[in-house]
Amino acid sequence: MIRDRLRDVSGQIIAVAVALLLGAIIILLVGESPVRVLMTLLRGAFGDQEKIAGTLLQTTPILICGIAACIGLRGGMFNVGIEGQLFLGGFAAAWVGFAFPLPPGIHMLAALALAVAAGAAWVAIPAYFRARYNTNEVVSTILSNYVAVLLTSYFTIFLFKRPGGWSETPPILATAYLPEIFAFSRLNWGLAIGLVLALGAALIFRYTSWGYGVTMVGSAPKFAEYGGVNVKRQGFVVLLLSGAVGGLAGGVETLGVHHRFMEGFAPGFGFDGLIAALLANGSPVATIFTALFFGALRSGSLLLEVDTSASREIITVIQALIILSVSAQVLVRRRGDSQAGERRWKF
Amino acid sequence: MEILDKLVNVALIAATLRTTAPILLVALGGSFTTKAGIFNIGLEGQMLAGAFFAVIGSIWTGSALLGVACGVAAALAFALVFAVLVVSFRANEVVVGLALNILAGGMTISLMKAIFGTRGSIVGHGIVGLPKVQLPGARELLGSWAPLISGFTPIVYVAFIAVPLLVLFYNRTRLGLYIRVVGEKPEAAEALGISITRVRYIASLLCGLLAGLAGAHLSLGYITMFTENMSSGRGFMAVAILIFSNGDPLKVLAGCLLFGFADAFSLRLQTFGYPSYLVLTVPYVVALTALFALSYRARPKIIAETLASMQRLLSTDKNTGPDGKHPS
Repeated sequence: MIRDRLRDVSGQIIAVAVALLLGAIIILLVGESPVRVLMTLLRGAFGDQEKIAGTLLQTTPILICGIAACIGLRGGMFNVGIEGQLFLGGFAAAWVGFAFPLPPGIHMLAALALAVAAGAAWVAIPAYFRARYNTNEVVSTILSNYVAVLLTSYFTIFLFKRPGGWSETPPILATAYLPEIFAFSRLNWGLAIGLVLALGAALIFRYTSWGYGVTMVGSAPKFAEYGGVNVKRQGFVVLLLSGAVGGLAGGVETLGVHHRFMEGFAPGFGFDGLIAALLANGSPVATIFTALFFGALRSGSLLLEVDTSASREIITVIQALIILSVSAQVLVRRRGDSQAGERRWKF
Repeated sequence: MEILDKLVNVALIAATLRTTAPILLVALGGSFTTKAGIFNIGLEGQMLAGAFFAVIGSIWTGSALLGVACGVAAALAFALVFAVLVVSFRANEVVVGLALNILAGGMTISLMKAIFGTRGSIVGHGIVGLPKVQLPGARELLGSWAPLISGFTPIVYVAFIAVPLLVLFYNRTRLGLYIRVVGEKPEAAEALGISITRVRYIASLLCGLLAGLAGAHLSLGYITMFTENMSSGRGFMAVAILIFSNGDPLKVLAGCLLFGFADAFSLRLQTFGYPSYLVLTVPYVVALTALFALSYRARPKIIAETLASMQRLLSTDKNTGPDGKHPS
């Protein structure tokens, strides 16, 4: 058991190392020194207490999106639409924040609740068709991302534009702010929300029969069905929950960091979360660490653009390489027992 | 009525054909992998890499044709990595496809910054676009309808000619039959002595070829520039089309014309002052609606088709010799 776990972790670390090596080669091709890029990344991520807080700030949305992805992956669902749910959740929270004056505390909770509802509502149609007619959820959720981003831009620019502002809504009222933890950083209690979610999800998967059912549907749907799990309804609920958490990530980002909704306010956090969850193999607790890793990369990349000639997208390349090398290792082993030619995501 | 006349005319149909071409090419490419039983969500990235390296090749060599070749080569490289991981290592195809898409996005932006020192887009720098082909006699024959068949870049013609060729390929060639057998009934393919691995590699690479052409058309034909993430979901729309067409070339064509029209129509609406953000959602909403509306009917059909093809296979079994040659 422990040996298996160790082998899993070591496989993951080897995969990351291979990816970093490939990344170094690409950085060389781009005409930068890999060592300099690495040092800059480290300095940008952990250089001083503000930098560390900045890393944690970037980690927060990745972590919450990662939990959203974990819930889906556990149940055998690829929610690739977290990005869209994040945008709608972010907008919904901002809307409550600037349009409805409410008492402190209640205001924030109401805004977060609407963010959750918006995320769940946005994934409801793909989830329904996935559960009822087995419509491929990967494609439907990806395509709905584009609609979500354009739709929130439309809301922001045509319906709720701040007078005199540029593609942003009016600022939300201070009563809806997620309180900050330190005076020197915008780091806020959203991080705590993420950690609680991660631990909560881990406990639910581990100790409740519902969580066990979800894991069973994800890994052996036939078995789960014989065991009396309503696979279709559960698939629907899993995607809905995943979307709800995705929406929450958006709400936390607007209420905690930007205090308004802006066009392109959180680019790529949804995908980063999915990658973090994949690297963590769908385990919420492991996602805390992978999200921290990607948060540090993101935070470090801000300095990268200033101090070196490399672009910050080089970290996206490294992330993709990590997933590719992990997929060649761990996911293979997991699927090693399947029949030749049998594929799970076949349509 | 007057507005309708302004919106729907020869120019719109010609624009539809132009916007259909890239998505048609990439969807036809995906039809190879779909038929071979691979779910290829990586089309988007292959197309994006094709578009970027077509522009790079065009600048380096000063030739549009060599630019297209570079774009195709890049897409083939992506397709090869996809095939190695998915077919040989049997990694999860969704994960690999998504990762390759992310890789293509990050790589093109990083390389753009490294080579041109800019973000956003590559314009000018001596990019050579593809020439427009004026068919001789089109104007005399069709008059004002001539723009429907003449004046497109070569890749547009390639895209539409590829449709009947693919129909023939799947129905009349041995490789086409092998690809279908491998996708629909891998056990049967194995029993017939067909190498599943080799067929799936070939299908992936053929897919990369067409996806690369589609990308090159985006950056050298459709317009002569490269912008960040310029494939903007066309690869994903192609996958949606592939799901409800099951990779059949004629149905793919029908689906792509629908999206091409939605694309062209939304561009047209923008010039009439409708809010661009809402108008831009039209192609995606059309794709989603079609996916949901048709998926509910598609499933029993897929099973029926599989059964039919099994029967065909069993009957060809009796008619073929040990070398598996098809009598037709």
